Amino acid sequence: MSAKLKSIIIWAVVLVGLAIIPQVFGIVKTNTVVELGISAMFAVSLNLLLSFTGLLSFGHALFFGAGAYATALLLQNVNGFPLVPAVLAGGLAAAVIAAICSPLLVRVSGTAFAMLTMAFGQLMFVLCLKFREITGGEDGIAGFPIPPFKIPFLLSVDMTVPSNFYYFAISVLGLSILAMWFLTKTPFGSLMVGIRDNADRVDYLGFKLAPTKAIIFLISGFFAGIAGSIFALFQNVVSTDGVLHILVSFTPLMAVLVGGIGTFFGPILGSAVLLFVEEMSMAYTERVELVAGLVFVGIVLFLPGGFMYIYVQIKAKLAARSAGPAAMEKAS
Amino acid sequence: MSPVTAMYVAQAIHGLAYGMLLFLVASGLTLIFGMMGILNIAHASFFMLAGYLCFQFLAWTQNFWLSLLFAPICVGIIGILIERFLLRKVQAHGLGHIGELLLTLGLMLIIAEAVKAFWGTESLVIRIPGSLSGLVHFNGLEYPIYRLFIIGLSFVLLGILAFILFKTRLGMIVRAAVSDAQMVSALGINMPVVFMLVFGIGTWMAGVAGVAAAPLLTVFPGMADQMGMDAFVVVVVGGFGSLMGAFVVSFILGELNSYGVQFIPRLAPVLLFLFMAVVLSFKPTGFFGERE
Repeated sequence: MSAKLKSIIIWAVVLVGLAIIPQVFGIVKTNTVVELGISAMFAVSLNLLLSFTGLLSFGHALFFGAGAYATALLLQNVNGFPLVPAVLAGGLAAAVIAAICSPLLVRVSGTAFAMLTMAFGQLMFVLCLKFREITGGEDGIAGFPIPPFKIPFLLSVDMTVPSNFYYFAISVLGLSILAMWFLTKTPFGSLMVGIRDNADRVDYLGFKLAPTKAIIFLISGFFAGIAGSIFALFQNVVSTDGVLHILVSFTPLMAVLVGGIGTFFGPILGSAVLLFVEEMSMAYTERVELVAGLVFVGIVLFLPGGFMYIYVQIKAKLAARSAGPAAMEKAS
Repeated sequence: MSPVTAMYVAQAIHGLAYGMLLFLVASGLTLIFGMMGILNIAHASFFMLAGYLCFQFLAWTQNFWLSLLFAPICVGIIGILIERFLLRKVQAHGLGHIGELLLTLGLMLIIAEAVKAFWGTESLVIRIPGSLSGLVHFNGLEYPIYRLFIIGLSFVLLGILAFILFKTRLGMIVRAAVSDAQMVSALGINMPVVFMLVFGIGTWMAGVAGVAAAPLLTVFPGMADQMGMDAFVVVVVGGFGSLMGAFVVSFILGELNSYGVQFIPRLAPVLLFLFMAVVLSFKPTGFFGERE
């Protein structure tokens, strides 16, 4: 079987699997998948910074929240605002905020970068709390209308039906993750890795470091904004604690670490593991975050490569076994 | 003194009291960072933990002074254990500083949830001890004694810290390690023990601040949030590893906070970040720092 055929089969299985979830598992499980999709995409967008550019952001909720608030505010205040532009507006709002922050952020890296992003995130959090006539303060914005998905003269799908929304959300999230995946494969993606590994060298090669970092930041922010926008539509509630709190910034970080830092698909796996831990511990204790924190510390201590590391180890073992006799002959 | 002047003066002392508390928290943070390169995200959690322990000790002994003595010591011991058994293990992984940041992040989550599990989510009120409650009257100015006590306590600690750092052998080693820990280690000094001590002292100071702040702020799960953010701003703006920077910036932030709340209440939290943004755009290393 050629590699191409194999990948086509895998993709077909994944697509069919995603397509039949609402029919097979019922609405509760379907919503869990949407939740997983949102946190996975959010984590992947953070991972563009962390694993591919080597920048640790402690304030990614800033973009998630910007996307969520932009979508919610538009839908609430503009009558009959269509769905897809609302989602795009979420991404753009996040990108604009990223652009505003970037002049300061591109000057620093490492711990100072982490602290500055955290500060910007907290600043946004406080502002949204204080300007309650716009944002609703602690209560947030709830019950804004969810417009139908429309293609003019062709069809109009009601998004308040959970299974319809599932297909919409999964397509947006999946396409965004794919877009990020292709981005890492482009020359620009190599440039990102170059900045991570040796920023000075990238500079000497003639690339402009600061604008490049700003663009990466914008892209990462844009996708986080889209994730936030989908989250807003999914929950139909946007509140400061839900989308801007510092814990919202930490969840994707945990997903990246649990899944495996330095890989593209690690964050998705990590989100799944975290969600699984959450659902499991929910049955036994009220302190779900405590369990998640303990699991997280355990992984940082004992499994620094995350769950992807286990996968890579198994794959290497299998490869060694199938190539066993030949390899052994060569060795002797 | 006219009432208006009195108000300004009172506000300035308020700012000084908060600034000094902030300094107690931030000085440990900046020392740990300067020596070990670890930015301890959980640092403010120790501040909160001390507040809760103070509440517990008070419930057992009914004596504020005993709590002030023992709660920070407990927190310091916890800090030492964390340094010895967790942080050192992560350092061996070679993930760089990201590993340490993430470990302390996890610890912050655990402490935040653990206090909720033990003491619940409500605010716990700690009463100001009798001998320190009441007001001082001075030339038309009335001021709560307890805040003056905080300022005094902070200055005493600052004096002790300065004495240790600048007049003793241990202080000399610590100052040398802030500029180059590897070189100090090469000179035959047992750095792991020094690290452990500094980490313990740093968390102990955060603990003292936590107990001192407990009667003012009340003890609740979000107690660490504001103080933690402010302490990070102090460390970043003052310059990583600079004690002098931490002192100056704590003072500035305290006053900024105090007058900000007075004149532009809605934008007071913004002032802090604006201040940081302005300083960092002109001097990315912070006021007194030498590295990013």
